Amino acid sequence: MKKYAYFPGCSLEKMAMSYHLSTLETTRKLGVELKELEDWNCCGATAYFHVDELLAHTLCARNLAIAEKEKLDLVAPCSGCYKNLYFASAHLKKDPDLAEHINIALQEDNLHYSGNVKVQHLIEVFVNDIGLNEIKAKVTQPLRDLRVAPYYGCQILRPKKDDEDVEQPRFFEDLISSTGATPVDFPLKLRCCGGALIITSRTSALSMVRNLLQNAINSGANVIATACPLCQVNLECYQKQVNQEFGTELSIPIMYFTQLIGLAFGIPPKNLGVGTELVSTRPVLSYAEK
Amino acid sequence: MVTRPSFSEEIAGLLHATHANAIKTCIQCGTCSGSCPVAKFMDHSPRKIIAMINAGLKDRILNCNTYWYCASCYYCTVRCPRGIDIAELMYALKRYSIWKNQYKDGLVGPVFSETFVKTILKSGRSYEPVLATSYFFTFGLQDMLLEAQTATSLMLKGRLPVLPPRIKRLENFRRVIRKIIPLGEPS
Amino acid sequence: MSQQKNLLIIDDDPDFVDGLKSILKTANYSVDAAYNPKDGFQALQSKCYDLLLLDVMMGRGAEGIMLARKINKDPKLREIPVLIITGIREQMAFLFPGQAVHPHLLPVDELLEKPVEPKLLLEKVSTLLKTAEVRKAQTKK
Repeated sequence: MKKYAYFPGCSLEKMAMSYHLSTLETTRKLGVELKELEDWNCCGATAYFHVDELLAHTLCARNLAIAEKEKLDLVAPCSGCYKNLYFASAHLKKDPDLAEHINIALQEDNLHYSGNVKVQHLIEVFVNDIGLNEIKAKVTQPLRDLRVAPYYGCQILRPKKDDEDVEQPRFFEDLISSTGATPVDFPLKLRCCGGALIITSRTSALSMVRNLLQNAINSGANVIATACPLCQVNLECYQKQVNQEFGTELSIPIMYFTQLIGLAFGIPPKNLGVGTELVSTRPVLSYAEK
Repeated sequence: MVTRPSFSEEIAGLLHATHANAIKTCIQCGTCSGSCPVAKFMDHSPRKIIAMINAGLKDRILNCNTYWYCASCYYCTVRCPRGIDIAELMYALKRYSIWKNQYKDGLVGPVFSETFVKTILKSGRSYEPVLATSYFFTFGLQDMLLEAQTATSLMLKGRLPVLPPRIKRLENFRRVIRKIIPLGEPS
Repeated sequence: MSQQKNLLIIDDDPDFVDGLKSILKTANYSVDAAYNPKDGFQALQSKCYDLLLLDVMMGRGAEGIMLARKINKDPKLREIPVLIITGIREQMAFLFPGQAVHPHLLPVDELLEKPVEPKLLLEKVSTLLKTAEVRKAQTKK
């Protein structure tokens, strides 16, 4: 059984509880163990980089050091956490002065980071480590005819880490196909949802959300699949605000990819956190019923 | 003898990913502005900001909303033909702006960031309800009502944290922070 | 022996450096400046300085502390007296509840907070230089 250190991140405790539940349910079914990182702290999100970079890297370094102590690789379901942890590890590996400085500080918590933890986004684990064939094999209720818009968002692929395709990736679409559903062509699939701008610059964020919702609906989607709690919240919880601001009548359910996989696996919707949404997902559920 | 740095060099010094003042190599192609999802809401587009940095227009830059409106989506960074890390540049400008305590009036970003940082230093975790105070009162009445409605619905669905979470080894965590940044103890 | 003392300032705030320079020149010190930790470290290795004025908050964060550790590791450089100048209370006023803490990073160091009072600055510089000379004389014995 493959085991990872699991970094839920601040949002998964309450706001994105359904992501947390569906993640644990689906990985368990696929024979993967996610062990929650012991005493993890916030990754710093974007706000820490507004204030002090060293401090931001230290927050992530502490989490990485705890994972290293457990001798496990780290998995983060949130794109923001993933980006911060990945690059903190990369910077520490490249810059020995920085690593020394941060490790002297980490000694205060009896921790040390040597750069040996691999950081992955949850979706990477599904696509690369588990593999699409394994996922297909466990599908008992294929989501036939369900048209899903694969919303990558921004920080899963950007900034560039290796030589991955940051302009026309296909792995999310392939993952959706493995559940039996149909991925639609969603031109704005890599465009930002606004993230924290929903708080710091509301009008621009609402405009970005509006464009995304409109584009997905125009592409014929029944549901938008996301892989990040900020994306899900921005797209789902502000549909009323978008409609008020722009005089539109947009409405489309927004679900986590793990929830869709879980439905295809025949896991009871309640165990996947279905029902905690502000925009009803009932229309989606009917595709999973046989 | 080193000469006094230009504003562009000062900013480059704040960038972790700086490749020896790459800001100066900008060819003003506009790819960044074209890719930016927020550009139309900014006072000056990313391309203009870089031109302004290279021209040393420090005060005009600090007093506009551009870098506080950046969503850090990194489209500009991955597409810049010169390899300038523009999203990181926006972060550097934010840090500079907080350092000098100089930014455009009415922006929510600085207050929000400071509140966020303080919350985490206190408990190791973020806590949404406290963050709401940094922006809630900038809303008009209609927006406030809709926001309160959304918050109530989320609360009824069990999605809002009631108590602020904290990490267990909080004292150690605070000591770690003090080794990174020599913060004083309350006197 | 009244040689002119050579001082080095490492601080990324050009306005503050100009201010320091003008104060120090009134006391007839020769002053050089470097505006980032990398240039500063190079300067220390290229010329022999009698005193270093080191800023804490530079670059990505408290990089002044990282530089101080580097200096401490170098046997040729670690005896240099250092006046640590911190603007942290100004820069991160919202985080700062109390007194600045003297990090004690090098054998001969002192702490000074921004904004800097000219008289206090010159006093501390002169005290540090004297302390360093006494140490040098003792180790020679």
